[in-house]
Amino acid sequence: MSKVKLPRKSTAIDMTAMCDVAFLLLSFFILTTKFKPNEVAQINIPASTAQLPLPDKDILLIQVEKGGKVFIGVDDQNTRALWLAKMAEHYKFKVTATMQHNFVVLDSYGVTASQLPQFLALSPEELNKVKQQGISMEIKPPQPSEFMDAILFARQSNPKLRIAVKADKEASYEDVNEVIAQLQERKVNKFNLITSGRAANVESANKE
Amino acid sequence: MAEMSTPESGAKKGKKKARSKKSSTRVDLTAMVDLGFLLITFFMLATTFSKPKAMEVNKPAKDKEKTEDLPEIKQSKTYSIVMGKNDMLYCYTGASDDTSIKVDSTFFSRTGIRAMIKQRQMEVQQQWGNKDELFVMIKPLPDSKYRNMVDILDEMAITGVKRYAIIDDFSEIDKLVAAKSGNRLISEKGMQAINAEIAKTGIK
Repeated sequence: MSKVKLPRKSTAIDMTAMCDVAFLLLSFFILTTKFKPNEVAQINIPASTAQLPLPDKDILLIQVEKGGKVFIGVDDQNTRALWLAKMAEHYKFKVTATMQHNFVVLDSYGVTASQLPQFLALSPEELNKVKQQGISMEIKPPQPSEFMDAILFARQSNPKLRIAVKADKEASYEDVNEVIAQLQERKVNKFNLITSGRAANVESANKE
Repeated sequence: MAEMSTPESGAKKGKKKARSKKSSTRVDLTAMVDLGFLLITFFMLATTFSKPKAMEVNKPAKDKEKTEDLPEIKQSKTYSIVMGKNDMLYCYTGASDDTSIKVDSTFFSRTGIRAMIKQRQMEVQQQWGNKDELFVMIKPLPDSKYRNMVDILDEMAITGVKRYAIIDDFSEIDKLVAAKSGNRLISEKGMQAINAEIAKTGIK
């Protein structure tokens, strides 16, 4: 029937294998990925040779910015809801559904207690634009600072919380020590300092 | 591109025999591969690979009611490192008489602080027979940077110093060092100031 023609090689390739590989990699990345959280503060963490990985859950993260502004947040959304309820009770403000929702999706916050209701009542777009001024660290004896209160309520909401301090490497020791001193006042004597990894014998440029 | 054999094209009247009514199950996967790689790229870029590491810090519990006697450490086993501004370090070895103390100033580097700690470890090794007897007292002044604290703790881990502490309690020598190097000694604000006041007056 058919004449013997010069066999023309088809340029078509079987894509099945490639497709398999692509989706294999895709599923790997989907499963391992952990999105960068929407950061409230630009923090440049110092490097250290510490090899301990940071635990994944039950973290109370305290962020200290270069200028000394402090932000705090917990990782778990249920804890956040409880935490807000406790704060609302203490500072006597009413929590609406929007406020609750806004707080639960917020990774960390840094506004004073008096600003908090107003801040949470904003729409999500506005919320991201607000320049947060940091939590008030001011102590008016005998009253504890709002920061100390926030720590207390967070730990009441989830007693398993571990405290991690993420401070900018250029932050002054005074500001970081203030955070630590107030934590110790709340009987937190064990905490993690978040650093980026570095090989033990490799000196970084600024140390040499 | 990969062959496209949808039922329509298969059934098209061409040179092919009409008997092959069976449509091919082959699908063009090119688009799917494209999509797959697009998503891979996205996830690769969105993912954070370098997981941050944690440095664990244990501070001694502060108990204001209980003032138990702390174990005394021989001055000759100690080494004090005072951290000032501009990444400067002032180190000295404790001595029983405060008059003849030599304070060295150094930087964070392998030849600086690390060499000095190592040397001190050797001295302690010679004197006491065990270099783990060395007790390093880290005294950051308020004007030092947070990075300095992390670096010095790191230095402790690298040199293998077993006993060290961050101390906010300053001796006369530290006060002198701070004054000479133009550093403040004690922070004026917040809990630190309150603690300093308590330490000074002894009243809560």
